[in-house]
Amino acid sequence: MAKHRMLRRVCAAVLFLALAAALLALAGQVLRPPQVSYGSTWRAYRAEPEDTIDVLYFGSSYAYCDFDPVEIYRHSGLTGYVMGGSEQTMAITYWYLREALETQSPQAVVIEPTGVFFEKYQQYTQTNLVYMPVSLNKLGAVFTAAEPELRLGLLCDLWFYHNRWKELTWEAVQEALAPAEPDTRKGFTGVVGTAAELTLTRNPRPVSEAQYEENLQWLLRALALCEERGIKAVLLVNPTYSQCSPEQYRQLEGDVAQAAPEARFYNWADGFEALGLIPAEHLYDGGHLNRAGAAVYAGSVAALLTEDVGLAPMEQTAEHAAAWQAAVADRDRAQTGE
Amino acid sequence: MTFLSAPFFLFFPVVVLGYHLLPRGYKAPWLLLASWFFYLCAGPEYAPFLLFAILLSYGAGRLLEGGRRRWAVAGTIVLCAGLLFVFKYLNFACSLAAGALAALGLSVSAPVFHLLLPAGISFYLFEAMGYVIDVYRGKVPAQRSLLRHALFLSFFPQLLSGPIARAPQLIPQLEKLPPVTWDGLREGLFRFLWGAFKKMVLADRLAILVQTVFAAPGDFGRLQVALAAVAFSLQIYCDFSAYSDMAIGAARAMGFTLTENFRAPYLARTIQEFWRRWHISLSTWFRDYLYFPLGGSRRGKVRTWVNVLIVFAISGLWHGAGLTYLAWGLLNGAYQVAGSITAPVRKRLRGAVGLKEDSFLTVWLQRGITFVLATGAWVFFQASSLDLAGQMYAGLFAGPAWVFTSMGLDRWDLLVAAAGLLLLFWVDLLEEKKPLPERWRALPLPARWAAALALLLAAAVFGCYGPGYDAQSFIYFQY
Repeated sequence: MAKHRMLRRVCAAVLFLALAAALLALAGQVLRPPQVSYGSTWRAYRAEPEDTIDVLYFGSSYAYCDFDPVEIYRHSGLTGYVMGGSEQTMAITYWYLREALETQSPQAVVIEPTGVFFEKYQQYTQTNLVYMPVSLNKLGAVFTAAEPELRLGLLCDLWFYHNRWKELTWEAVQEALAPAEPDTRKGFTGVVGTAAELTLTRNPRPVSEAQYEENLQWLLRALALCEERGIKAVLLVNPTYSQCSPEQYRQLEGDVAQAAPEARFYNWADGFEALGLIPAEHLYDGGHLNRAGAAVYAGSVAALLTEDVGLAPMEQTAEHAAAWQAAVADRDRAQTGE
Repeated sequence: MTFLSAPFFLFFPVVVLGYHLLPRGYKAPWLLLASWFFYLCAGPEYAPFLLFAILLSYGAGRLLEGGRRRWAVAGTIVLCAGLLFVFKYLNFACSLAAGALAALGLSVSAPVFHLLLPAGISFYLFEAMGYVIDVYRGKVPAQRSLLRHALFLSFFPQLLSGPIARAPQLIPQLEKLPPVTWDGLREGLFRFLWGAFKKMVLADRLAILVQTVFAAPGDFGRLQVALAAVAFSLQIYCDFSAYSDMAIGAARAMGFTLTENFRAPYLARTIQEFWRRWHISLSTWFRDYLYFPLGGSRRGKVRTWVNVLIVFAISGLWHGAGLTYLAWGLLNGAYQVAGSITAPVRKRLRGAVGLKEDSFLTVWLQRGITFVLATGAWVFFQASSLDLAGQMYAGLFAGPAWVFTSMGLDRWDLLVAAAGLLLLFWVDLLEEKKPLPERWRALPLPARWAAALALLLAAAVFGCYGPGYDAQSFIYFQY
């Protein structure tokens, strides 16, 4: 009898705690500002039908501003999604990759590798990690890739966002609680405009040897994960006017070739002309392509993936194919301003 | 590690679970270990002072076993008070002395000693002195177990900010080691939650308004200065009673009953009654160990009034080494003296205007006046100097009624604060008849869960915490 009562109490306590946790998580979800661009678009990513993506793209803003999966699809038929994040460090890239592979089984993973030259913690850890779905991968990211002082907030959204209750609208609540919808941008953020002045820089990123080594290990872990899952890994340095030093690119290429020979490394940092890009027209600023530039660049990326890497689009259901066609149509409408 | 920190939410369940599961012989060592760990988290440099208080009072207690050795009591009091004086009041005393000498025309610059103030020292030294006096008076036998005595002074729920434990109340519990019960656990945790709500939603929100206005009272209108004074009255109540709720709740969750520290003080009808309801563990300490030995009320009216003023002056200084605290204490003492002198007149006055003693109007009029008096005194408590307190009082009567400038809180914050204070007021009224945790436990299960979840959610959403927020430590931590 006493045992039975004890069991009932323990169950009640567990149920209460679960209810409390769910309530707090729900409040956190409602109060957290929606993230629909500039990387970390996990909500829309998780809304993609499972195992329908051919290529996943990772990296910093160099990835989510430059890789346009819809344009790449237009050129190649390869479906894709950018799971970039502002100043995404290699440790975060690794955990992003692990988490992204929970719902997709891509043929290839493309990583924009400038993050190898980042500091251990960059400025946007909070945004990069707070939107990750609750999972062991998020826990891993929080405890290995985030500043210790951010950990509490990354584990409990309310820590960061509870004070947003003042600006909450009924529409925002409804939107937060509604099931997530796939986003036709597929993780891409198209920036509009051109730089008033452009100066090509090839400055070495000031990263210590030890930090470079640590970052490289995270990259190698990501590459090893791709190898383990039979995913082709591509490291692609996008065309940019704010380049690392040629020595740094060479060092990275050499280190990757030595430790992960199966990964392909392409340095297109200087390839504007060959890629059909006109810096004055296609660069938003020194570092990033604008929307038009990304559309032009998509042709070269598509060619690389289909011709060099040898990818062919996976067979999609009529419904999925129609959804991608709709995304292309959306893009056309956006570009023509209709 | 404060009650509202992430480490505590890991520490506390482990301590409760360990206490519950360990064999009886290991429970007290476990609690002592946990308590010392808790104290070390406040600063390892403080530990020697706690150890000294433990050994001193233990030794004195054992000495008193052998006979009524008055010198042992006196020695303990001198050493404890001396320790408190050195670490808390030395700089204040030096500055007072320098001021006095300057007034006599002797220019002396007061030395400034950079001394640490061990966390909780005012609380555990009072517990130590109280214990030795109680042993001397025969109210409690000397504790033979050093471990149990150490636990009495170190018990973590009350260690940093009270309630100030009394040996006859806590030591028997530490000997018996009450079991963790389902009801105790639930009641304790609910009380802890209620304390967290008061601290996070009310005290720390009101603190923003209080600090804004007290920083420059001249920049605000009369009504805003009055609002800030009222807000501080409510803030300090919410803050300190919240801490006490969490301390008592944490102890209750483990099966222990600590001294109650607050009983709806702003429902008091006189200042005298207010002090029977406010910081009860300190008030009763002063009553038993200072006021009564001074003669209490047994030596005539004038002597009683002098005793009251002495007790309140010391009580003021206990709160802080500053003239503002002294003024606050003396003002409260003066209220009581004035209350005692004018009691017959006021009674006649009530009779003349037809107010019955316990009528609704009389009760609420008295409560209102008591609140205003207490609030007037709190101005000294919060002001950083007598000059600033003067500015606050001047601000009440001079200048425009309202100045359109930010008081630190927007209308939503004010709305939340008002709603929370209404809830607090309602709970205080309810608690006049039955304690909140008991009322809560008597509710049907869905209502119980709804109340607990609503409090939790309200604290989590409307609480003042997180990055970019300058967290307020508990006001009484500094004492």
